[in-house]
Amino acid sequence: MSNSEQIKLTLPINAAYVSAARLTASSVANRLKFDIEEIEDIKVAVSEACTYIIKKPCFSTKNDFKIEFNLSKDSIKILLSVECDEKVDVDDDEMSMQVIKALMDSSDINYDGGSFNMIIEKKHLKVSFE
Amino acid sequence: MDFSIDSKFSEKKDCWLITISGEVDIFNSAEMKTKIIELIDEKPLDIRIECKNLAYIDSTGLGAFIAVLKKTKEFEKSIYFQNLKPSLSKLFKITNLDKVFIIEGDSNE
Repeated sequence: MSNSEQIKLTLPINAAYVSAARLTASSVANRLKFDIEEIEDIKVAVSEACTYIIKKPCFSTKNDFKIEFNLSKDSIKILLSVECDEKVDVDDDEMSMQVIKALMDSSDINYDGGSFNMIIEKKHLKVSFE
Repeated sequence: MDFSIDSKFSEKKDCWLITISGEVDIFNSAEMKTKIIELIDEKPLDIRIECKNLAYIDSTGLGAFIAVLKKTKEFEKSIYFQNLKPSLSKLFKITNLDKVFIIEGDSNE
């Protein structure tokens, strides 16, 4: 097996599917052998990132958003992206962002080629990835 | 785990006992809020929330409880959470809501 793997998910912008993102996040994080508390952190952060996107009124006209789980030996990096026509106001004080920042090692939001991207990462100090 | 909410009036403690099970997220937090607000409208009492079977709550669920708290404060009543799982206690701490709600029987630490 290679040193990195990628899992891609496309979900409708619909609150009913946030649980699907959570389940996938748990399963993927478990594969990297994060401990139970870390898996829970990743699951919660992914769920909050989805909620953040679904709640933004400017995305309500879009059909779906993408989640990419990038697994490497020392971290899990998760990219959430949604098509975006213009720059979106980001409020770091929002509870979703507050939770993500507290649970993950890094988080970033950017705009690239008509896409709103949120990148969150958790590092792994003792990976065994077989 | 499927979300469910059950409530009953406790004569002994003169409060609403609410049991929430499963996962509370953006999909069902509004439904949860409506049900609890209806109880307060029926009779304004303290709210005790049993969380033994609450597997998950997200920021919209916490936001719903803040809205409920505002309502209970109009009647000088409080919200108590009991038996929160450690992972959920952590969320209350991160968001400083452990200072806003009364958390009892915390199995954390």
